[in-house]
Amino acid sequence: METGIRILLLTALLAVLPGCASVRDWYHHRAERRAAARAQSAPPPVSDSSQDESAPPRVIEPEVARRKIKVPRIHSSNVEVGLNYGVLSIEDFGTHPVYGISAAYHITEDFFFQADVGRSHAGRTSFETLGGNIQLITESERRFTYYDLSLGYNFLPGEAFLGRGIAMTNAFYLIGGIGGTDFAGDTKFTVNFGAGYRVVPADWLAVHITVQDRVFQSSLLGTTKLTNNLEARIGTTVFF
Amino acid sequence: MIARLRQVALASLVLLGLLLTPAVGGAREYLQLFVAQPYLELHTGPGRGYPVFNVVPRDGSVDVLFRRTDWFKVRTEHGVEGWASQQDMLGMVLADGSPFRFSVGDRAGFGAHRYEAGLFAGAYGGANYVSGYASLSFNSQLALEAALGQFLGRFSNGVTADVGLTHVIVPEARWSPFLTLGVGEVHVEPKATLVQAANRTEQTAYVGGGVRYYLTRRFFVRGEYKAHYVFTKRNQNQEADEWKLGFAFFY
Repeated sequence: METGIRILLLTALLAVLPGCASVRDWYHHRAERRAAARAQSAPPPVSDSSQDESAPPRVIEPEVARRKIKVPRIHSSNVEVGLNYGVLSIEDFGTHPVYGISAAYHITEDFFFQADVGRSHAGRTSFETLGGNIQLITESERRFTYYDLSLGYNFLPGEAFLGRGIAMTNAFYLIGGIGGTDFAGDTKFTVNFGAGYRVVPADWLAVHITVQDRVFQSSLLGTTKLTNNLEARIGTTVFF
Repeated sequence: MIARLRQVALASLVLLGLLLTPAVGGAREYLQLFVAQPYLELHTGPGRGYPVFNVVPRDGSVDVLFRRTDWFKVRTEHGVEGWASQQDMLGMVLADGSPFRFSVGDRAGFGAHRYEAGLFAGAYGGANYVSGYASLSFNSQLALEAALGQFLGRFSNGVTADVGLTHVIVPEARWSPFLTLGVGEVHVEPKATLVQAANRTEQTAYVGGGVRYYLTRRFFVRGEYKAHYVFTKRNQNQEADEWKLGFAFFY
């Protein structure tokens, strides 16, 4: 009986001891389980291999929108408009006052286009004066109107000085062009050429002195001839 | 005569007053630019010969007051006003650091621009002819064009008005040919010495072509031929040839 109990206890001991051998780190095993549980509940670590190794680490994300700047328009001041007054010598019809309007467009510092309209009133020819009561053309036909388009060239630009304190830009210019002349009941093709002097006392103001010859063909006095109609005028223009 | 002179003088004064109004007008907002090159030269006048009297150093700023042809009138921070050339202004930057760009009249502009205008001398049906035109470009090749002209001949005087399309074949070439097609009107005033002299206005249509040649800056020469068909009220339609040559500029 005693032997039977001893064998039973030894068998139980033999059955348990190898099991204890297999769970030898049983105490630490619990600690590992806890560590694994903590690791699982935490977010997974970022894998560094996905990032470009050469790029420097970004400190601030660039989310700045470029500010839109409103650019004020630059005013172009190339157009010059004005009035002028002077004298016009109408060939065979005497010298008389002339007044007109001119407009110019400055294309470069050298060249400009100019349009002119002017009006004068012709007098009597010497033939009419000597002949007594003879009238070559009617009173309304004596109205002399010219209009033309010309190209100008600023020939000698410079500066003019008024005392010590004031300097004004100026230019001598050559001008020539074509147009028409309404005179003696007909419109004549007219060629004009001349020269002028422009002084600019302020950025918006200019004063001109111009001498121009207007040439057209006329057969009023019997023979057909080229008539030269010299004009000298002074004018004021405003730049726009 | 004196009353008339007074009227003219008064009208002139009013016109001059009207002209002066915009010049004296209120303050405007100016464009501020910064110097990006070592310095910006200021000239005393708007031309290549005017001397340099002031410079604005790098990073200095100027206000652009206005532009006249290829020159810009600017005012520095110290209130000095002077003229800067177009070439120098290309080296300026806006407040946000972007380069200042504007329309430059050069060969590239000749190939592609928005507006052009010009003056011509020539012949219309044998009469002397003066004309001017202006055009609006839709692209570098196609443009809408309007022309006004006056012919002064031995037998009749008159005016023409045309509207049409222009097609520039090779816009970037220095010698650049073009074709035109359009309609118009012609007003003819026969000289009083002829029998059956009655003024008449008639419809026309034209087809033509020509060539443009780039000169310099904004300038080019333009020569042109137009064959006009005048739809008369008489039995037969008329034809009139128009030849012209002139100067034009683009903008």
